[in-house]
Amino acid sequence: MSLLEDLKDAVIEMEDEKTPELTQKALDEGNTPEAILKKALVPAMDFVGDQFEKGKRYVPEMVLSAQAMKAAMKLLRPLLAESGIEPKGIVVIGTVEGDLHDIGQNLVAMMLEGAGFEVYNSGTETTADEFVKAIKEHNANIVGLSALITTTMTHMPEVIERIEDAGLRDKVKVIIGGAPVDQDYSDEIKADGYASDAGSAVKLANKLIEG
Amino acid sequence: MITSNQMFYRTPQFQIFSESEREMIYSAALEVLETAGVQIERKSALTLLENAGARIEGNKAYIPSYIVEEAVRNAPRKILIYDRNGNPAMRLESTHYYFGTGSDTPHFLDSYNNEIRRTVHKDIGNVAKLVDALPNLDFLMSLGLIWDEKVSMTDLYQFQEMLFNTTKPIVFTAHDLKGTKDIIKMASIAAGSEDELKKHPFIINYIEPTSPLVETKEPIDKLLYCAEQGIPSLYTPTISAGSTAPATLAGTIIQALAECLSGVTMAQLNKKGAPVLIGGVISAMDMHSGSFIYGGPDFHLMCAGMNEMSSYLGLPVYGTAGCTDSKAIDEQAAIEGVFSINLQALSGGNLIHDVGYIASGLIGSLDMVTMCDEIIAMTKRIMRGIEVDKEHLAVETIRRVGPKGSFIADKHTMRHFKDQQWYPELMDRKNYDKWAAAGKKSCGQRINEKVKRILKEHKPEPLEKSKQDEIMKLINSEAKTRKVRY
Ligand code: B12
Repeated sequence: MSLLEDLKDAVIEMEDEKTPELTQKALDEGNTPEAILKKALVPAMDFVGDQFEKGKRYVPEMVLSAQAMKAAMKLLRPLLAESGIEPKGIVVIGTVEGDLHDIGQNLVAMMLEGAGFEVYNSGTETTADEFVKAIKEHNANIVGLSALITTTMTHMPEVIERIEDAGLRDKVKVIIGGAPVDQDYSDEIKADGYASDAGSAVKLANKLIEG
Repeated sequence: MITSNQMFYRTPQFQIFSESEREMIYSAALEVLETAGVQIERKSALTLLENAGARIEGNKAYIPSYIVEEAVRNAPRKILIYDRNGNPAMRLESTHYYFGTGSDTPHFLDSYNNEIRRTVHKDIGNVAKLVDALPNLDFLMSLGLIWDEKVSMTDLYQFQEMLFNTTKPIVFTAHDLKGTKDIIKMASIAAGSEDELKKHPFIINYIEPTSPLVETKEPIDKLLYCAEQGIPSLYTPTISAGSTAPATLAGTIIQALAECLSGVTMAQLNKKGAPVLIGGVISAMDMHSGSFIYGGPDFHLMCAGMNEMSSYLGLPVYGTAGCTDSKAIDEQAAIEGVFSINLQALSGGNLIHDVGYIASGLIGSLDMVTMCDEIIAMTKRIMRGIEVDKEHLAVETIRRVGPKGSFIADKHTMRHFKDQQWYPELMDRKNYDKWAAAGKKSCGQRINEKVKRILKEHKPEPLEKSKQDEIMKLINSEAKTRKVRY
């Protein structure tokens, strides 16, 4: 039990060099990958997320904890897959065509990773076709579109249309965000949800995959 | 009075860096350009740099200091900007300072119902009209990006509204190179001809690199084109300490400076003497909310530090002030407005923008612009300092009036009270009863009334009808050909 406690602490303390080693030890001791995930990593990130929401932790600390968790997940992921345990959700995220603002979407990507999602960040200026391709390639069930300009957010409906054309609309939830975007716009273009910051994006993604 | 070796301060003194610190910062920026390199996503610009002697690896350019230093020498140390009628309006050099609005906010705080809503076409005309009327604003930017026109046409409509509703100089943003060319055409029509515009430029192109150290295609295209055409441009980052730059203030200034200088270098290599300003929004990420900070001492200090670096290099600078993170025109907005405006003037920003931004650059407000107009007026008085000469020392006057005398109707008072004292328009100095009788209005209410009064009464000098028609013809033909997106 104390090894799992140590691992949990290591995530909270942002020690990404320690977490793979502790994870390996925990496995060697006979803990199942699922137990490690549920008893150490998830509670650690829940704790960190809660502290962040309360203003007791800062962005870089959140990101480092997420990286510590990710380092552990690298070991666990193949084992989980072997025992038929799917990741909680697979997310493709990117800024839309013509948009270079990636600070916000990178934060969202890191927070989602920290919350246990498998995240593929396709970076800036992702075209509709590139989104569709990435969704297929990674078998994503969530796609996140980010736009910071009134003039680029108009690519969002285009992406949704292309996802429909590819017959993928039932398989993926579309979430959107960025400064000029709001819930009304999400409704207007028939996305599945909007979030105003990274913390809310995690909540939204959790809600959507729970059905 | 016989004196020797006297020295007078004409203005209050303010300084962040010593001479050696400035040298260290400049040297560090040169080292960044030479050793960290810049990612340049346009082949033509890479070729320019390669031919000048930079080392190119893939799309990265490592620029030796001698190339940058030569570019700094070739760049003009002053840029003269005119108004729409060709009269001199701004002398962007040394520590001359001018204030103006920011550009492109997606939302607007409606001055008529205090609601936040999407920015619309009509707002931009109102911004121009207001800035035209306010005496302490010297130039304007759109303050909003409009939702109620075809997306591909917004840059042209915004510029047209500004052009038609004020004679003051305009800093514009364009979607792309085509937009830049169209806007220059529109300005040429207003100026009378392309030549006339080049001789008496009243527009400046706003171009931004992407921190950290990336120069993307569109900005490079705009920069090189404006350099060729002799149209002044800004090449200035919106940089965020702790996110797209180091968390330290000095480190962020150094990186911002390196980014600016890479632009200055490309522009000078393309056309020696091309007018370019450095500077920018030198700020930080708020590590609680992730927000990009538009008000706060660290942000104000970095912008002031950047101003000092620009005067050290002898390059005109684009400063930032009159903006706030607050979502309302409240105490926070006023506090952040005052600090930023004061420090910009004290540190010698030349072209100081973003007056009127609230909510971290996401909402535009005419009330904020108007409040800042008065803050700028107060700042200008502070910047005039205290004159110290025989007349102002007033010893003779004090002797003449003597103990128990009165200065009220003294001729010395008559000579000076209007000029020495500053008179507010929005600050209230009435006694309580008079204030109560006038409706117990808060400063915010008085600001709002002034906004509405100006919008109702002010009539900017119109652009000649024939020029308006020609400009609308250009816009309408563009509207037919520009690609529509949703
Ligand atoms: C930094 C910045 C830049 C940098 C970007 C650097 C980079 N690497 O990202 C540079 C200098 C390159 C830049 C360029 C431009 N910019 Co800019 N920029 C900004 C600025 C100041 C901050 C953005 C930011 O990083 N915020 C901090 C992050 C953490 O917040 P965020 O992005 O909003 O993300 C959060 C939420 O929105 C949400 N979220 C974001 N994405 C997603 C996705 C999903 C799926 C979900 C659920 C949630 C979500 O969660 C995030 C984390 O909390 C904003 C102003 C502002 N306050 O937003 C202007 C701003 C966005 N820019 C603007 C403009 C106009 C431009 C330019 C067009 C300027 C020009 N004319 O050249 C260019 C366009 C370049 C391009 N092609 O994209 C305008 C947009 C106006 C509008 N009406 O839409 C703004 C609002 C400024 C303004 N008022 O003019 N910009």
